[in-house]
Amino acid sequence: MDVFFNQAFTGLSTASILLLVALGLAIIYGAMGVINLAHGEFVMLGAYAAWFLQSFLGIGLFLGLPLVFVFVALLGLAIERGLVRWLYHRPLDTILATWGVGIVLQQLVRMIAGPDSRYVERPAMLDGNLRIADVYMSNYRIFLLFFSVAVLVATWYLMTRTEFGTKLRAVIQNREISECYGIRTERVYALTFAYGAGLAGIAGALITPLASVTPGMGTNLVVDAFLVVIVGGVGSLLGTAAASGLVGEATALFSFLLNDTIGRVAVLMAIIVLIRFWPQGLFADRIRR
Amino acid sequence: MLEAQALYSYYGKSPIVQDVSFTVPEGSFVSVLGRNGVGKTTLLRTVMGLTDGISGRLSFRGEDLGRLPTHERARRGIGYIPQGREVIPRFSVRENIVMGTYTRRDGRRDLPGHILELFPVLREFLDRRGGDLSGGQQQQLAIARALAMDPRVLLLDEPTEGIQPNIVHEIEQVLLRLNREFGITVVLVDQNIPFARRASDHFIVLDKGRVAVAGHGEELTDEVAERYLTF
Repeated sequence: MDVFFNQAFTGLSTASILLLVALGLAIIYGAMGVINLAHGEFVMLGAYAAWFLQSFLGIGLFLGLPLVFVFVALLGLAIERGLVRWLYHRPLDTILATWGVGIVLQQLVRMIAGPDSRYVERPAMLDGNLRIADVYMSNYRIFLLFFSVAVLVATWYLMTRTEFGTKLRAVIQNREISECYGIRTERVYALTFAYGAGLAGIAGALITPLASVTPGMGTNLVVDAFLVVIVGGVGSLLGTAAASGLVGEATALFSFLLNDTIGRVAVLMAIIVLIRFWPQGLFADRIRR
Repeated sequence: MLEAQALYSYYGKSPIVQDVSFTVPEGSFVSVLGRNGVGKTTLLRTVMGLTDGISGRLSFRGEDLGRLPTHERARRGIGYIPQGREVIPRFSVRENIVMGTYTRRDGRRDLPGHILELFPVLREFLDRRGGDLSGGQQQQLAIARALAMDPRVLLLDEPTEGIQPNIVHEIEQVLLRLNREFGITVVLVDQNIPFARRASDHFIVLDKGRVAVAGHGEELTDEVAERYLTF
């Protein structure tokens, strides 16, 4: 029984990381139809930013989070203004263009920071484990779980309860008419892209105590995040959350029952089957137009 | 207040509106008539800046519109109610109306009360989604949304197309009130000649992208209608 709960917690922990990484991707994809293949590199940059702040400026992970968010968000803004906005009417080309951006960012980091793995210490207050019966849960992973839910709630609030979010939802549904009612759609897009990038940065920073920081770390993460977005259904925050949970738990379960490699294959197979029957994802919004 | 001189408007390289000149005086009611495909919708879209490009002069209250982006034109007080209504389907009626206030310069976001008096049916459905309303209700919502911006001029593109007759009458009455009581200038694209005659001070008949006839309301004779408007 302990084994079961330990695995369940591992799955939940994986899910919380997936959610953090996927959320920004889901927003950018859902809002603008842009498949941002540089998302993984935004995550990686967030991780490096956290490492830089800690190793050179002595700024701890928590204190550094807002700085990381702003830094990656500004970078996202620059990429949106400089590149992505010219390609909104050519969605396929954005895939290629953002992939290129991703490669450039990866190589830049490799040149500047070197190819070695870097490590970031977790905040001392989150050292240790919480033990309930024979289930051990690392305090940091518990924190990540709550933090990712908090980010989800904050994003939901931003999208549904603020004027910016309302404008964004208007633009998603009808860009032209939004423009006719005084919404500066270009600005809404730019800020949304920046927000998504900033979230990726935060995700990267928070992963650092659990994974080594390398220039290529984003690539694996972004694949999983894409799976989550597709399974969840484009444009649904709830779907992204549910799919994170599902993919996280499934990964833990299959890895436990089989092994890591076969488990991964099994998860991918399951997703293929799922998409075969729910091509719109689990939480696609259905409404007559 | 709204003026065009030798206006051409393009989709790609094709000029859809060609050499059109007109003046819409403040407080007037102007009908734009013509058969399908003569450029009526394009003319309204040109005023909003939704075509690919223009040449000639287009001005609003003395200011050149040609360079202004669409959202700035809206902020100047031009309310556009497009063909097919285009309410936001997943927004509630309330959210749809509040969307109109985004153009307001005073920053107010409250639901103007007189709007719900004009369209009592919307008051009942405030929390229903725009996409779930009937066509006639959606049209009323689209007009309400434009009114929320406190517009100086309303551009309406076939607001009575495909709508049940009792609501058509209601919408026409509202348009007349808005013009006569509230002093809002109205530019109406419509196929309904009797209403155009009754309501408008001026009319413009388009044919193949050009102005075929223009004049005062009473000059919209049966002969004109026969020649340019019957199919």
